[in-house]
Amino acid sequence: MGAIEAPFPSSAWFVELVARATADPAELEHLGIADLRFGVEVLLPGGAEEFFGLVLDGFDINVVGPTTAESFGSDVVVSGPLAAWQDMVDWIEEHGPADSAHSLNGLTIAGIPLVARSDDAMGSDKFYRFMGTIQAVFDAAGAPAPAAARA
Amino acid sequence: MTLGLDLDYLERSARGEFDLGWLRDTGSEWGVRAVPSKTGLTLRDIAIGSYGEVPDHAPLRTMAPRGSDVEPGVPDMGYTINDRAEVWADNVLDLYEEAVSRQWSATRDIPWADLAPLDPDVEHAMCQLATVLSEVEMVAADFPAKWLWRINHDFVEAKMFLCTQVMDEARHTEVFRKRALANGGGLGKATAVVERFLQLILDAESYDEGSALMHLLGEGIVLSLFRAGAALAPSPVEQKIFRLCMQDEARHVAYGTMHLRYRLASDPSVAEDFHAYLDQGEEIISMIFATPEIVEPTAILAAGGLEQACELGTAAGDVLRHQIIGDYLKRCAHAGLDRRGRLHLPDALIDGVPGARVEAAV
Repeated sequence: MGAIEAPFPSSAWFVELVARATADPAELEHLGIADLRFGVEVLLPGGAEEFFGLVLDGFDINVVGPTTAESFGSDVVVSGPLAAWQDMVDWIEEHGPADSAHSLNGLTIAGIPLVARSDDAMGSDKFYRFMGTIQAVFDAAGAPAPAAARA
Repeated sequence: MTLGLDLDYLERSARGEFDLGWLRDTGSEWGVRAVPSKTGLTLRDIAIGSYGEVPDHAPLRTMAPRGSDVEPGVPDMGYTINDRAEVWADNVLDLYEEAVSRQWSATRDIPWADLAPLDPDVEHAMCQLATVLSEVEMVAADFPAKWLWRINHDFVEAKMFLCTQVMDEARHTEVFRKRALANGGGLGKATAVVERFLQLILDAESYDEGSALMHLLGEGIVLSLFRAGAALAPSPVEQKIFRLCMQDEARHVAYGTMHLRYRLASDPSVAEDFHAYLDQGEEIISMIFATPEIVEPTAILAAGGLEQACELGTAAGDVLRHQIIGDYLKRCAHAGLDRRGRLHLPDALIDGVPGARVEAAV
């Protein structure tokens, strides 16, 4: 299927992810409109962190970052160690769409290894309302690159 | 009853002599031009001019579209919910569009052909959970349906959203009934305690009471069950069922939370009424936490079988309990109703749940 060449997490990785996720507009339209500012917080070894934002707006998906949680203004932030994120990405690249254990829902439900945090109930409920769309975006890590898909 | 048929007009119009008064002398607003946004022409796009003004109190009780030029003598439809605050939520226009856009089919969108035989205990657990969910979901269609015809047409966007909820819940009832019958299991047990909670919602004396019990409390719990179901799903089939249902349910909960917020902001004096509704609801809900037909299937699914269900199931139950109560308290807080320290749940259920108790000042 072809893993994303850029390292995770990086702006190039997220841009390529979104390119793959939006390659087939009909698939996104089937999932329906979305309205979510989704923060990805990756805790790096040594204490530093990287933060990227995904903006789901109607049928559009945009990448913001690297940035900070404060400046992005997330509805929900999913945060966790790099190893947990990398494990999720690697699994999707190898197997395709995440199974329960490697899904954003499965990885955050107990707060381990990832935690979903929001300022208020509407933020966490938006995470649940648009779970299928945000998961489809990450599942695109296991999809063919758009150029390969067209070939 | 006479409809006042105008025979003279019939004759005039047959001769081509039109009245055309309606073309020139209307009191409604002319010259508005709603502009589609990037996803199409949404309810928010057409909430413009006088058409976008939702009255705090509906001046008439008719089905006339809000903003139309209403002829004198229209019949009274007998609506009982005529105050906006009784049914409105600030997010209801967006939730309607979201609901319409994110509909799915329990027949086509679930990969039923991929269902594989499961361990019999896991299959039994899934079927029991599907039985409970098929049972409880329909009340969330029955309740809005019971109240829809009583809601004034001036609040049509709220009525339309509730119509989407009716369809959502029909689909949830359908998908869980289908899951129970699709893999060699069948339906399990329906319990009295669940039925008592459903009766409490259905028999609510006011929309306020029923909405608090259903949108906020009951659907909040079911939302957590859906979330857990998606995480514990034994196959991609159940994962997709629970994920799609979770999305729908979260919309209903988002409406319930924001409706309560609007209601309390409009009239803070009704807060005690809502506390009383939830006191009663929580007492029944606490019994559900002690109902084997709900607790044990979740434990077996978490453990992947009966063998480790006690150990792993208890841990999973704690996660679920924390999530249910924690999310419920957050929604109440967002709505402006502080339930901390007032929960009608036994200590055994709220122990260890962050924020469940009002911490004493040090």
